[in-house]
Amino acid sequence: MPDLIIDNKKIQVAKGTRVIDAAQSAGIYIPRFCYFAELGAVGACRVCAVKFIDGPVEGIEMSCMVEAEDGMVVSTDDAEAVDFRRHVIEWMMMNHPHDCPVCDEGGHCLLQDLTVAGGHGIRRFSGKKRTYADQYLGPLISHEENRCIQCYRCSRFYQEYCGYKDLGVMGIAQRIYFGRYKDGVLENPFSGNLIDICPTGVYTDKPSRYTGRKWDFEQSSGVCTTCSLGCSIRVSARYRQVVRLEAGYSQAVNGAFICDRGRYGFSWVNSEKRPRQGRVDKKTMAPQKAAAAAAGRINDLEKQYGPGAIAVAGSGRSSLEALAAWHHLCQIRSWRGFFFDDLAAGPGAAAAVSGLSRENAVSMKAVESADMILAVGADPLREAPMLALAMRQAWRAGAGVFAIDPRDLEWPFAFRQVSAAADEIPGLVSGMATGNGFFENDSRHGRNMAAIRDQLAQSRSPVIVCGTAAGGQATVSAAAGLVQWLRKSKKDARLFGILPMANTFGGILLNGKPGTPEELIKGMESGQIKALVAAQSDLWKTCQDPDRLDRALRRLEFLCAADCVATELVSRADIVIPVFSVFEAGGIYINQEARAQWSQPAHAGGTPVRITGAGGHPPRVIGAAIPGGGLPPAWLAAWQIAGLAPPDSHEAMMDWMTKAYPVTAPVKTMGSEGVRIFPSQ
Amino acid sequence: MHPRVLLQNRKPGRIATMDEYRQSGGYQALEKAFVKNDPSPGDIREILLEARLLGRGGAGFPIGKKMATVPEDAPHPRYLVCNADEMEPGTFKDRVLIHADPHQLIEGIVLAARAIEAEIAVIFIRREYENAARILEREIQIARDAGFAGKNILGSGRDCELVVHRSAGRYICGEGTALINALEGKRANPRRPPPYPTTRGLWQLPTEVQNVETLCCVPHVLNNGAQWFQSLALTDSGAGTKVFSVSGKVNNPGCFELPMGVRLSELIEEHAGGMIPGSRFKACMPGGASTRLMPESMYHVRLDYGDMKEKGYRLGTGAVMVFDHKTCLVQVAVNLMTFFARESCGWCTPCREGLPYILDLLNRIEAGQGRAEYIEIIRKMCGHMKYSFCAFAPGAAAPVQGLIENFHEEVTAHIENQRCPFQDGQAGGDNAGSHH
Repeated sequence: MPDLIIDNKKIQVAKGTRVIDAAQSAGIYIPRFCYFAELGAVGACRVCAVKFIDGPVEGIEMSCMVEAEDGMVVSTDDAEAVDFRRHVIEWMMMNHPHDCPVCDEGGHCLLQDLTVAGGHGIRRFSGKKRTYADQYLGPLISHEENRCIQCYRCSRFYQEYCGYKDLGVMGIAQRIYFGRYKDGVLENPFSGNLIDICPTGVYTDKPSRYTGRKWDFEQSSGVCTTCSLGCSIRVSARYRQVVRLEAGYSQAVNGAFICDRGRYGFSWVNSEKRPRQGRVDKKTMAPQKAAAAAAGRINDLEKQYGPGAIAVAGSGRSSLEALAAWHHLCQIRSWRGFFFDDLAAGPGAAAAVSGLSRENAVSMKAVESADMILAVGADPLREAPMLALAMRQAWRAGAGVFAIDPRDLEWPFAFRQVSAAADEIPGLVSGMATGNGFFENDSRHGRNMAAIRDQLAQSRSPVIVCGTAAGGQATVSAAAGLVQWLRKSKKDARLFGILPMANTFGGILLNGKPGTPEELIKGMESGQIKALVAAQSDLWKTCQDPDRLDRALRRLEFLCAADCVATELVSRADIVIPVFSVFEAGGIYINQEARAQWSQPAHAGGTPVRITGAGGHPPRVIGAAIPGGGLPPAWLAAWQIAGLAPPDSHEAMMDWMTKAYPVTAPVKTMGSEGVRIFPSQ
Repeated sequence: MHPRVLLQNRKPGRIATMDEYRQSGGYQALEKAFVKNDPSPGDIREILLEARLLGRGGAGFPIGKKMATVPEDAPHPRYLVCNADEMEPGTFKDRVLIHADPHQLIEGIVLAARAIEAEIAVIFIRREYENAARILEREIQIARDAGFAGKNILGSGRDCELVVHRSAGRYICGEGTALINALEGKRANPRRPPPYPTTRGLWQLPTEVQNVETLCCVPHVLNNGAQWFQSLALTDSGAGTKVFSVSGKVNNPGCFELPMGVRLSELIEEHAGGMIPGSRFKACMPGGASTRLMPESMYHVRLDYGDMKEKGYRLGTGAVMVFDHKTCLVQVAVNLMTFFARESCGWCTPCREGLPYILDLLNRIEAGQGRAEYIEIIRKMCGHMKYSFCAFAPGAAAPVQGLIENFHEEVTAHIENQRCPFQDGQAGGDNAGSHH
C-alpha cells in the first residue's frame, strides 16, 4: 500500500494504482484524453503531465504512466507542468474545429471541458486547419474526423479491447486518420461505445441527432433489460420520449461499456404502436376502467368455471414488483397459476437459478480475471453480448477459452470448440468430473475433451459459462455439478448462467417452479383454462409452434393483455390495459448472477410530443393532464385486474413485497451496485 | 594518414568479396568464438564493454552495457537486430559500409548474436537501400555456404540465422522500439520502456538492436583487443574510429573514416576538401538532422561523443552537414522541420501537433511575416518537446534550438526587416547576422 503525497495531500492507495487514479481518489482531477481505465495507459496525449518533486521518480512525467510508490511527492499545479499541459491543449486545438455551438458533442465533450478549464480561449496559431473526409459508418454512428484529437481511444477499444479490425488508425504525423478503409457499417457489435469513449465529437450518436442538448435531457440511471446481464445504462429523455442510451458505469457488471443491442434496442418505448389507451372490445377507455372491466369478466368466468380456469402468463420482461404481484395474486385467488414464458426460451433457467449460490456466483467483471473459461451450450455473443467482451478480456490476459456447443460459434477471440450435439453435452460435461480415462474411447471428442480436462486441472479460477436455451436443464445441471466438483478439488470455480430475459432470475426466485408455457398451452387446448391474462407476456414470440398457440388461444373465452409493448397478444386481446414501461415506472431487475438492481424512471410518462404534436410547430397540446400519461405501472395493473386494492404507492408496494416474499428483503437497502439475492437465502 | 579499419577494403565501384575480407583478417574472430568458444559469449560482452564501443546509431550507448541487460536466464529464441534503416538526413555511412564490405557486417552481426546467444538476426534495412539489401541477401548466402552463418556454424552446433527485412519506410522505423513494432507487423509507434527490448523485445523475447557501424566494429575489437580499439581514438575518453558522412558546401563531400576525436576543422579542410570557393564556414549539423546546429565557434571541436556532450552538442550519427555564410539557417531549420513534421509517427501530441506548429512559425519568419513573439513561442515549444513520448521530438527540436540560441541575430534580422536577408542573391549581406 504505497503512501504518497499529491498536492500536499497524504494519500494511500493500493499497489499498482496509477498516479492519475491515486489523485482522483483524493478528489484531485488530472486532465486526460488518451487514458481510460479499461483501455489502459498509453501516454499518447500527454495532457496528464504532473511534476514529481521527490521520491523514486523526478521531473515532469505522465501521471497515467507512473504507478504510485512510497515516498512520491507530486505536484499537479507546478508551473512548468501547467504550462506544458496548456500547450498540449493548444496543440490539440490547432486543428479542432471551432464548431462547439453546432456540434452534437457540445456540452457533452471532454475536450470542451478541459479546453475551457485550461484557459485556452484565444487562438494563437494562425495556420490552416487540417480537414478530412468523413465516412459513413452505418445508421447508428456519425463520423466527423475533423474533430479528432488523436487520443487513440477508438482504435484501442475497437481492435485491442473488442478484437474487431474494420476500424482503426491510418496514416502518420498530422495526417493520422481514424476510420475504416472505406465507408461501411461497423462490424463490431460494441461499436456504440465509440460514442461514449471519444473525448470529443468524432463519433456521435446518429439516431439522437437534433433531439436536444445534454442539458435539455432528463437523465437517469437505468438497468438494461435487453438481456439477462443487467448492464448499467444512462438514459436521456426529452419531450416524453427516450432519446439516447449510454453506458453507465458498474464496477461489478459491465464496467464502462454496453453492447449495441442494449444501446439501441429501445425504439419500442417511443413507438406509435405501443398501447397507450385502455381498450375493451375495440372501445378505447381509461386504463383503470379497462382494468376494472377485466376484473369483472374474470370474476364472472371464475364463478362459472372455478378459479382453475384463470391463468396468467408473464415474462422476465417484467420488474420484480410486477412478478411478485402476479405470483401472489394467482396464489391468493387460487387461480390456475402463473406461467413463465422464459421457460420456453430457456428450459434450463430454473436449474441455472437453483444451481447458483453465494460461493459459486461470479460477476461479469470478475469473469475477466478467470484463468480458464468453458462455455457449454452458450453463445454469449448472441445471448449476452457483453459477456463475450468480458471473456475476451480474460483471453487477452492469457486464459484459455473452450466451448462445447453444436452451433457454428464465432467469437472475437481464439477458442477451442467441441462440436457436440445438444444432447451429448450433459454427458461430456459431467464426464469431466468422473475422473481419468473417460474420453480416451471417444474418437470424435476425446482429444478436445481431454484438452479441456487438462486445462481445467491446471486452472485455479475457472469459470463455467452455461446457456439455458440450447442444452436445457440437463446441461445446466451438469455444468453446476462440474463447478461443484471443481470446488471440491480446491479450485475457485464459478458458474455463469445466461438466462433468456432481464428478470428471468426474479421470476424463478419468487417461485422456484413456475408453470411452463407448454403446461399453459395444454391447459388452453384441453379447455381447462378459459381466461388468460397476458401480463407483459412474450408467449407468442417464444412459442416454437405459433399455429398450435393460435388454435389454443382461440379456445379461450377471454384474453386480457397488460403490456407496454404492442405484442401479438395485445392485438388479439379482448381487453387491453396499457402499463408504464421500466423507463417510466422504474423497477427492480435481478440479473443472471442474482444481482438485484433498481432501474430509475427516466421521465414521468406520456405519449411522446413527437406523436401528440403530429408534426405541428410548436408541437403543443394545451391541457391540464399529460397526454397519454397516468398509466399504471405493471404491478399496479396486476392488482386492478385482480379486482383487489393495491398498495397505494411504490413505497408501500416495496413494503408489501418484502413481507410477502422475505427472500426479496435485501432490495430495501440495496445501493447503487445492487444486492445479490440467492434462492437459498 | 589515419589508420582505416572499417573501410580498409573499400574499393571504387564494387564490393569487397568474402575472400578479400578474409585476407584482411575477416572471420577469424568468428572462427575462434564459435569453434574454440574463445572468447565465450561472456568474454565478448566484456571485451566490447572494455573497448568502450559506443552505439553509432546516434545515441552513443555502450554496446557492452546494453548486452549486459539481457538476463542470463532469458528465454530463447533471442534476437539480434541490425538497424540499417538509415534515414537520418545527412547520414549515409551505413549504406557505404554495406556496399564496401558486407562480410564485415555479417561477421559483426553473427558475433554480436553470439554475445547474447541469439539464434536469429534480422537486418532491418531501409527500403530505398534495395541494392544493399540484395547485396546482403547474396553475401549472406555465400557466408552461409562457407559455414559462417545459418545452422551449425563451423560445426560448432550453434546457429545464427540471418534475415534481411525491408523496412516499412518511415523515419520512425529506425527508432529501436518502433522498429520492433514494425517487425511485428504493427504500426511503427515507439514502445515505452520498461520493459526494455533486451528483456522483452521482438515478440516479447530478448532483442538487441544495434546499428550497422557499431556491429562492423565488433570483429575488429575482438581481433585486436580492447586496448587497441581505444588507442585508435585521439581523445582519452573516445575509442575506435568513426565513419563521418560529410555533405554541404565542401569540395569533396563523402564518407570518411577517421579516428574518434578528430577535429571538425581537420575533417572539413583535409578530408572533405575544404569549403567550396567563395564560401565561408558558418555552421554545421554535427551528427545528423536531430542534433543542435553548431556555430563557427565550435569549428575546432573534437568530434567525439564525450567531448561534444560536455559542450552541449551531440555527435549523433556523425553526419556533418556544412553550411556556408550564404545559407539561410532559418531556411535550413524549415527544411529539417518539414522533414520531422512529416515523419512524426503521430502517437503523441507534442510531436504530432507541436512540430507543425513550430514549422508554421519558422515558415512565417522565413517568408518575412515573422513577429518578435514567435521566437519565445518557438523556444518554449522546443523546450516542451522533452516531455513527448520518445526521443524523436526532442531531436527534431534540437536544430531549431541551436538556431535560436546560436543564430539569434539571423532570426531577428528576418523579423525586423520582414524578409529573408538571403533572398535575391544578397547572401552574406550585413543583415544576415552572420558571425563573420
